[in-house]
Amino acid sequence: MIEGLRRVVRGIREHFYFFVVSTGVVASALVLLGLFAMVLRDVNAMVGSWQADQHVSAYFAAGVTPEVETEMHALVAGRREVAKVERVTSADAAVWMTERAPELAAVFSELGPAALPASLEITLQPEIATPEKMEAFVASLKIQGTRPDGDGVIGTVWEDVDYGQEWVARVHTFLSLLTALGFAFGAATGLATLFLVANTIHLVVHARQDELAILRLVGATERYIVGPFIVEGVMQGLIGGLTATVVLYAIHQGLLVRLHSLLSLAMGAAPTFLPADQVVVLVATGVALGAGAAWGAVRRFLARLP
Amino acid sequence: MIRLYHIVKSYGEHNALRDVSVHVERGEFIYITGPSGAGKSTLLKILYGAERPSSGKMLVGGLDVTALDRERVAQLRRNMGIVFQDFKLLPRRTVADNVALALEVMGAPRDQINRRVPAALNIVGLKGREGSLASHLSGGEQQRVAIARAIVNDPAVMLCDEPTGNLDGGMAVEVMEILQAIHRRGTTVLVATHDQGLMDRFPKRVLRLLDGRLSTIEPPKRRSVAPGVGPAERG
Repeated sequence: MIEGLRRVVRGIREHFYFFVVSTGVVASALVLLGLFAMVLRDVNAMVGSWQADQHVSAYFAAGVTPEVETEMHALVAGRREVAKVERVTSADAAVWMTERAPELAAVFSELGPAALPASLEITLQPEIATPEKMEAFVASLKIQGTRPDGDGVIGTVWEDVDYGQEWVARVHTFLSLLTALGFAFGAATGLATLFLVANTIHLVVHARQDELAILRLVGATERYIVGPFIVEGVMQGLIGGLTATVVLYAIHQGLLVRLHSLLSLAMGAAPTFLPADQVVVLVATGVALGAGAAWGAVRRFLARLP
Repeated sequence: MIRLYHIVKSYGEHNALRDVSVHVERGEFIYITGPSGAGKSTLLKILYGAERPSSGKMLVGGLDVTALDRERVAQLRRNMGIVFQDFKLLPRRTVADNVALALEVMGAPRDQINRRVPAALNIVGLKGREGSLASHLSGGEQQRVAIARAIVNDPAVMLCDEPTGNLDGGMAVEVMEILQAIHRRGTTVLVATHDQGLMDRFPKRVLRLLDGRLSTIEPPKRRSVAPGVGPAERG
């Protein structure tokens, strides 16, 4: 054990430059991977906030009584697709509109408190965010709003039901594109990481091939030769992983947080750093990459040796 | 000690060795000679397990080593000292570290390494040079380090592939004298060389290869000056 560690330390000391370069490449590759994970997390959070924002405005028709409005509020609130429903009276709507467009205050004053229709502002569950599901919900809402009037004619309590069809379709298309891009970029990042680390360690092993050949000639077994290289790979992965974590944290604090403060409206929730379990996965990925690449490279060289 | 039966080694259409059969007795010193491409190095490679014969059988110390797996080849090499023309030292390591390598791969304890490395260096005349870097030594000194590494674990057989090929006349003679001394200690030594001058100066049995075939097996022209040389004296 001690003799094995002595050989590892000697190997690192004799090839310190290669050790530093390999560790640096592992760290760089993990920064790339970590950045992708971080951006993916933030995009997911952003998309989540957009999805949470999907809502339907159901405007009551003129003449609908407050009792009917209350009844419809209760009915809609009881539906499983609905996360939240808020009843907005005509007066509330006028106040909301006046606050945002003060120049219209005189017009509303002239038209009276019933100028704008009362409505139910319905926030849907995130899983109802697709255009098809929203359309189905709105259609069922319209059916739910049908009432026979005094003359036996079927009427509806709704003046209009609006769910921003265009916006929903655009968000959905964007999400599909984002998912495909996420997969493609994730796969590319993963492959790039693997390629970078595997090839760098392969080159480092190549630079030490004379040593491998000599060890083989003096009767070293494969385990004896491969062992220290794997330990070196583990160390490179560990140090590279920890370095990448520090660099990612610096990038998060120095860039993403500032970028968010500039683009806070578009980005939604503030970007968060990777949680502890993902940091552990990142470092473990580095260790596995370092050890695996070293093992593969040394085995490949040994197979070629006489 | 070493028995080769009808060894053939082919690389595609080319036959590097053709039906080579040789018996080498324990404690013998043998030259393997012949022109370039005759098959000297191939024969040595087969002996230390770097190449497998295409056909034929080979016994070393009674053990069939014709088709050993990698682990067993490693075990075989621990009982052999191998010396090359290009020394095959680790230039960034010290003389002592290079010599110790052969013991380290066997898992020898540190105190044994500390005892045997200076002893081996003493035999090759490099006592006191333990701490020098291998890359700082002359060619002759580097070859002596390689020989020390080959003998440090006291192998039964020593294989030398053109050990004097990179050395000038004086150095070559020194190296041959060291090999003679090692042979006198009871080690079986096989030296591949095409240096007729050295073979004349240190006469031993000669296996002459020509185009992969063993053309002649020549007895020593005269006896070595050292006492107790060769299997005859050992009984």
